[in-house]
Amino acid sequence: MSTQLVVFALGKEEYGIDVSAVNGILRAKKFTITNVPGTPKVIEGMINVRGKVNYVLNLHSKFGREPNEETEENKIIMLNVGDANTCCIVDEVTDIVKLEDDNIELAPLFLSGINSKYIQGIGQIGERMIIILNPAEILTFEEYSAIDSKAG
Amino acid sequence: MAKDMQSAKSVGSGVDISKIKLSDVIDIDFLQKFQDDFATGVGLASVTVDPEGTPVTKPSSYIRRCNITHSSESGDKRCAESHRKGGEEAVRLGRPYVFECHSGLTDFAAPILLEGRLIGTILGGQVLFTPMEEEKNRKIAREIGVDEDEYVKVTQEAKILTKEAVEAAANVLFIVANSMSNDAYQQLKLKSVVDTLSDGAHQISATMEELAASASTVSANQANLNKEIKNVNTVTGKIDEVMDFIKDIADETRLLGLNAAIEAARAGEAGLGFGVVAQEIRNLSADSKQTVGKIKELTTIIKESVDNTVRMGAETTSTIEQQAAAIEEVTASVQEISSLTELLSELAKKA
Repeated sequence: MSTQLVVFALGKEEYGIDVSAVNGILRAKKFTITNVPGTPKVIEGMINVRGKVNYVLNLHSKFGREPNEETEENKIIMLNVGDANTCCIVDEVTDIVKLEDDNIELAPLFLSGINSKYIQGIGQIGERMIIILNPAEILTFEEYSAIDSKAG
Repeated sequence: MAKDMQSAKSVGSGVDISKIKLSDVIDIDFLQKFQDDFATGVGLASVTVDPEGTPVTKPSSYIRRCNITHSSESGDKRCAESHRKGGEEAVRLGRPYVFECHSGLTDFAAPILLEGRLIGTILGGQVLFTPMEEEKNRKIAREIGVDEDEYVKVTQEAKILTKEAVEAAANVLFIVANSMSNDAYQQLKLKSVVDTLSDGAHQISATMEELAASASTVSANQANLNKEIKNVNTVTGKIDEVMDFIKDIADETRLLGLNAAIEAARAGEAGLGFGVVAQEIRNLSADSKQTVGKIKELTTIIKESVDNTVRMGAETTSTIEQQAAAIEEVTASVQEISSLTELLSELAKKA
């Protein structure tokens, strides 16, 4: 078996997410992100994509990283998760790759606790290591419900 | 222009002494009057001749005996020969020479010299130190074929003077004529120098004007050049704008490739071919972006080059300005020299 991943960068790290969980990629500079009051900090705001409201997650905040400076290359990955239209802003989408299962290690056991559930495994392409995210766990219940209630 | 200046330099050597005539340095009318008054006052006959022996003044106070001598063809010849010899001796000595003429009278020859060159001779005398022996007088009259009795009779009109008096009189004529002609000669030389100076000053003025004109031409050209170069900068800026646009298209193309790849992946087996196309699109966009980067590097080099050129142009402009200022200073100095030359010219004319 093999998995196709959309690979993106947050800072120096590379992350991957299964293509089946991705609806598409947008250029962040083409959209204006509107802040939504009363939502958790990880929700950057909302954008209007072809007449539909999409909520934007900031993965930097979510993973407790220092936010990177905005660049021209910033992308928004539209996710195919849950009922609400959600997406996340990343530094850059670097690749779309196909990984054989042999090249994927499961998430190590010492990564217990709340953060571990985001991580499905570690993919290897030569020297590159790609942190594969679990699309279903990207949105926590609280976040999801916060969005869901707004989306109504 | 350089040739003109050289020829102007050769004029600086001054007056050509080999071409100066007595009339160039002494006013002949003045000399005639001086000679007449002197002859009357001292009682000595005199005449001034050019280096060829041709008289340039009328004879002053000639005694009748000499007129009779000149009336005979052989007498006239003998007189001329006698004058020539006396004149030559005077030139050789460089001072007045007192001698006895062919007819036994005492004569003198005073050379007029300019830097050692003979320009004329004042001949004079027609006197005696002691009364002439009658026999000698008659012999001469016979030789030149004139009436002996008449000749003896008019000989008595010749004044008896001492040798010292004749020498002193000759000296006076010598000194006056020589200092007059030498002064005039120096003045001619001065005038020539002043003329050369004046010519030179005019040449310099003209050259300075040309220089000033060319400096302003260079300045104008440089200004145009600077403008053109700045145009290049503007165009380069526009190229950069176009490049930004192309980069944007490349980014958009890449995104299209990424989304196409996602769609292809989701289509499973059916999307494999489409996935290859999507990959190609991404490669293409990557190439475009790289090309844009290279072009931008080139336009950056052009901009730097233009900036350097503009800076050097500014340096050139300031150099030209300095030159123009220097030219102005020189022009002012030359004008000063010109007015001094005019003053000198006035003085030379008066002197």
